[in-house]
Amino acid sequence: MANQLLEVKNLEVYYGDIQVLWDVSLQVEEGSIVAMVGANGAGKTTLLKTISGLLRAEKGEILFSGERLHNLKAQQIVDRGVVHVPEGRRLFASLTVVENLRLGAYLPRAQALFNESLERVFSLFPVLKNRKDQKAGTLSGGEQQMLAIGRALMAHPKLIMLDEPSLGLSPILVKTIFELINVLNEQKATILLVEQNVNQALKIAHQAYVLKTGKIVMCGKGCDLLEDEEVCKAYIGERAGNR
Amino acid sequence: MGDLGLIAQVVVNGILFGSMYGIAAIGLSLIFGTMRIVFIAQGSVIVLTAYFCFWFFSLLGIDPYLSLIPVLLISLLLGAAFYYGLFRESAALKDRIGSLLIAVGLMFFLENFMTVVWTPNPRAVVTSYGFLTFNIFGIQLTLTRLIGLLLAVLAAVAVSMFLKKTLIGTAVRATSEDVEASTLMGINPDWVNVVTFAIGIGLAGIAGVTLATTYSFDPVYGFEFALKALIALTLGGIGRVYAALWGGIILGLIELLGTFFVGAGWAQGIVFMVFLLAMTFRPYGIFGGAGEKV
Repeated sequence: MANQLLEVKNLEVYYGDIQVLWDVSLQVEEGSIVAMVGANGAGKTTLLKTISGLLRAEKGEILFSGERLHNLKAQQIVDRGVVHVPEGRRLFASLTVVENLRLGAYLPRAQALFNESLERVFSLFPVLKNRKDQKAGTLSGGEQQMLAIGRALMAHPKLIMLDEPSLGLSPILVKTIFELINVLNEQKATILLVEQNVNQALKIAHQAYVLKTGKIVMCGKGCDLLEDEEVCKAYIGERAGNR
Repeated sequence: MGDLGLIAQVVVNGILFGSMYGIAAIGLSLIFGTMRIVFIAQGSVIVLTAYFCFWFFSLLGIDPYLSLIPVLLISLLLGAAFYYGLFRESAALKDRIGSLLIAVGLMFFLENFMTVVWTPNPRAVVTSYGFLTFNIFGIQLTLTRLIGLLLAVLAAVAVSMFLKKTLIGTAVRATSEDVEASTLMGINPDWVNVVTFAIGIGLAGIAGVTLATTYSFDPVYGFEFALKALIALTLGGIGRVYAALWGGIILGLIELLGTFFVGAGWAQGIVFMVFLLAMTFRPYGIFGGAGEKV
C-alpha cells in the first residue's frame, strides 16, 4: 500500500448526546485528492472539525504520518501541517488581505518562510496582490475563497482540508476553484475535499468516500463512483451531472 | 472674556477629565472584544491601582509618575492573574452572564478589601507640583491633568500600534472577530486572552495613576467610574481604540458642561440621557458605520 498521510480509524463523534459520526474510517494517500461527498447534515464538516481538533472524538484514532492527532490541541495540529479551510471561508473581514495572510503563517515554522510563501500565494492569485491592503470583507466571493486558500497555503501545509470551497460561487468561479485544487495537487499538495458539488468533486478526486447520516456508505475511485448508479441517483440527479 | 472664557475653561477640563474615562474604555473594549466579558470591575481596579500609587508615594516617597512603572507592571500581572484565576472558563465558554457575575463579585471584593486596607476616607496623592497651573489665553491648565491627557493619548497610540503592527496584536483582532477561525490559524486563544486581559488591566493602571494625581478617590468610587467608562465605550463604539478615547472625552465634556449649565445633580441625568439616545439612534457608536463590530 502506498504511503498514507492521514488515517482515520473507527471515529465516533458526538454533539452532546447526539452521535454524529459512526465508525468512520478513511485514508488519504500522500499526494492525492480525496473527496468526501454527501448530503447536507451527513457529518462532513464534523469530520473535518474533528481532524483539525476543534471537536473531540469519543472513540477512534486519527493518525497523521503515523502520529496520533486526536490528543493534540488545534494549534498543535496546525503545526504538524494539517490545515483546515473552514466552510464559509471564515476570513477576518476587518483585517486586510495581507494581515489575513500573515495570520495564516502565524506559527513560528511558517513565519520563518513568510516572504516566500507570500510570493507563492501572490503568483497563484495575482488579484490578491492588487488588493493586498484592502479589507478582506470587501472582496468578492471568489476572491474571498482565493484568500481563504491562500491563507491556508501560508502555513506550509502537508494536508489541506477544504470544506465546501465552491459554496456560494458562480459556476465559472466554481470551475476556477476546482482547477486550482488540481494545480495545488500537481504542486504536491495532499487534499481532503468536502463537497456538496458531487459531480465536480468526484471528477478531480483520486479516491472518494460517500458519507450518509454519519456513516461511510461507499468508497472507491472518484471516477468509479461517478459511474455508480446509486451515487448518481442520490447526489447528482438523473444523469444531469451539472449541479 | 467673561462667560465665554469660563465655558472654554469647562471645555478644557472636560477633555482632560474625559481622557481618563477614555483610557478605561479602551481596556473595556479590548476585554469585551476578545472574550465578550463586560468587565464591570474595571473602575475598582483603577481605584486599587490609584491606592498602589498612593502607597508608593506616602510609604516609599516615590514620585507618582515614577511609580507608573511599578504600577503598570503590577497591573499587567494582575490582569494575567485575573484571567487565569477567574475568567478563563467563562471566556472559553463565551458565558457572558457568568463572567459578568464574576466581575461584579470581584468589584465588591475589591471595594471591601480597599475599605479594610485604606479606610473609606478619601485619599489623594498631593505632590509639590500638584497645584502647578499654566495660564494660556485665560484658561487655567493644571499640570497633572495635562500629564493625564498626555498619558491617555500615548497609551491609546501604543495600544493601537500594538494591535496594528505586531503579529500578536493582529491575532488579538482576529480572535475578537472569529475565535474558531483564529484557532485554525494555530493561534492559541488562551494566549491571546491573557495578553488582552493584561493590557486591559495595564491601562487601568495608567488611569489609576492619573486618578491618584488629579482627584481624590475612595474605595467605592470605582463602580461609578466603570459605568462611565462603559458609557464612553458605547458612545465611541466597541472595537476601535481611538473611538473609545473620543467617547471618553465626549462624555467628560457632557458631564462638565452639564454641571456648569444645569448643576451637578442634573449632569448625571444628562449623561445617562445621552447614553440612552446613543443606544437608540447610534447603537454602533457615534463614529461607527452601521454594522461595524458588536
